[in-house]
Amino acid sequence: MQSITPTDHRDTETQRNTFLWYWASLTVRPLTVLGAILMTVMPAFAQVDLTGSYQTRMYEDYIERGPGEFMGNYTGMPLTDDGRAKALLYTSNLPSTYERQCLPQSAGVFQYRPVGFRIWSEMAEDGSVLAWVIGGDNLRNDIRIWMDGRPHPSPNALHLAGGFATGKWEGDTLTARVTHLKTAWIRRGVGIPASDLTTITMHLTRREDLLTITTIQEDAYYLSEPHVVSRVWQWNPRGTEADRPICNTANEIPTLEDTGAVPHYLPGQNPEEDYMIRTFNVPKEAAMGYAETLYPEYRKKLKSIYKLPADCIARAPGYCCGWIETQGRPGGAPNLTCNDGGFGTLGPRGRRTATEK
Amino acid sequence: MRRTSLALILLILASGTLTAQGRGGQAGPQTARTAAPIDMTGYWVAIISEDWRWRMITPSRGDFPSIPINLAAQKLAEAWDPAKDEAAGEQCKAYGAPGLMRGPTRLHITWLDDSTMKLETDYGMQTRLFEFGAASRGAAKPSWQGTSVAQWVMAGGGRGRGAAGGARFGSMKSVTTNLRPGYLRKNGVPYSEKTSFTEYWDLLTETNGDQYLVDTNVVNDPVYLQLPWMTAIHFKKEKDGSKWNPEPCDARF
Repeated sequence: MQSITPTDHRDTETQRNTFLWYWASLTVRPLTVLGAILMTVMPAFAQVDLTGSYQTRMYEDYIERGPGEFMGNYTGMPLTDDGRAKALLYTSNLPSTYERQCLPQSAGVFQYRPVGFRIWSEMAEDGSVLAWVIGGDNLRNDIRIWMDGRPHPSPNALHLAGGFATGKWEGDTLTARVTHLKTAWIRRGVGIPASDLTTITMHLTRREDLLTITTIQEDAYYLSEPHVVSRVWQWNPRGTEADRPICNTANEIPTLEDTGAVPHYLPGQNPEEDYMIRTFNVPKEAAMGYAETLYPEYRKKLKSIYKLPADCIARAPGYCCGWIETQGRPGGAPNLTCNDGGFGTLGPRGRRTATEK
Repeated sequence: MRRTSLALILLILASGTLTAQGRGGQAGPQTARTAAPIDMTGYWVAIISEDWRWRMITPSRGDFPSIPINLAAQKLAEAWDPAKDEAAGEQCKAYGAPGLMRGPTRLHITWLDDSTMKLETDYGMQTRLFEFGAASRGAAKPSWQGTSVAQWVMAGGGRGRGAAGGARFGSMKSVTTNLRPGYLRKNGVPYSEKTSFTEYWDLLTETNGDQYLVDTNVVNDPVYLQLPWMTAIHFKKEKDGSKWNPEPCDARF
């Protein structure tokens, strides 16, 4: 602002105006400085910029996120009887039907997906963040977290795979509540269901290049208690995560369109119901996702009955490799010589097929 | 006028400084305990909703997916023999800090003194001390729980302020070194004495009052890992210690 001094005495009006300008000058300049100082010492509530691409690290629930979970493995889940019964109807060719191709792409499932995502902000006219958006090809619809305080709509409003989300900052953590989700799965590839009444609370905390996302999912139909998942994602400055609001069909068998068939097992006829029991000596109540099995006291029940299963390398499928270094793709951990479960033997030079010399 | 404006600035800055110095602007020297932006004390239980087969029970030999080990680690893991560990008196190898935190355990967190937070586990009956500031208990022998140096990380770039009515937010960062070599997984996946274990502790409070403690952690081991191993582990607050049930280390289960 231009400085005006009280040396101009042309008339009283001018003098008065000049005095006001001078007063304003003296006041505004310090206030401007004050504002600048306050901006540095009292940060805005949206303290952390979440913008960027984030890459998954296959260090938790690797089997499920990488090669695909063993059928009938609901360990770690607090399922209701209804949830368990519905999960047991699942077969691997269910996603081959058009109507169910999108079930693994939802706000709840993305913590179990093997690929990364992007976060960006949408700005209001006044420059404030109107919404944080999470998008990626693991999501059929973006998760748009509204930050402007708008209410959630009527329960009868449209439900989307990305749901309807509102958020607020709690310190450096963005907490979002997601409602209005379409029916989907909670975990991919084993059929654990979520209803359209499911809700998810998401906590996103970024520090340095790590983003921790904790989700707490509730579902009155299929979960007997909240299902808690915490994951670490890593900021990737070279990330090129696509934002494709389409479903990845990922058919594993010939498609079934136009046949009218809905692949399923009838109750009590799922041949994989005891897979975890016979392969890993996991007790049935754990494999079938009873909530009591999530807590330390359950382990004490196992101590006298649990038998160590056969060495991993002797088991088929093995999946004994250290990890998949390329997100979402079958690939060997470099320099290891382990069996990756039938995809081929991995050696120092990379993958070889089972028949390759 | 200039003096008035300057006084105003100083007054506001001083006000902010007082807020940053403790709950309600307490007088007296600041300590780690009074500066805490979050209350981690109490009893917490691990919810084993991830990697159940590798955390709740002892997996078979060679079952080490998801840990970015190298070939040297693979060879050691494939030679895992719990009987040898027992014979060597090293039945606690899976209870060192980097492995312990993923175990099926309860935590009991208290303040030992104004600058030392104590974390106990009933699983393996381990105790780890988080030391704030430069104060150190002196050079110690490498141990299962190592030496943990902690600091508060205030939200909002250092002042611990949040959006809700002056509530304080922040997290704890800790770095643990001086570790005795142990296992990242119960079935003998090794970490070396050169390991550093960095953790970021966040407190999450739900609208129904439930509280979760999330331990985002990174294991760096130049000897046995090809890349840092990073995971997040969550614990739920319990109302009391009625389910606290200590049990000693067990090399087999």
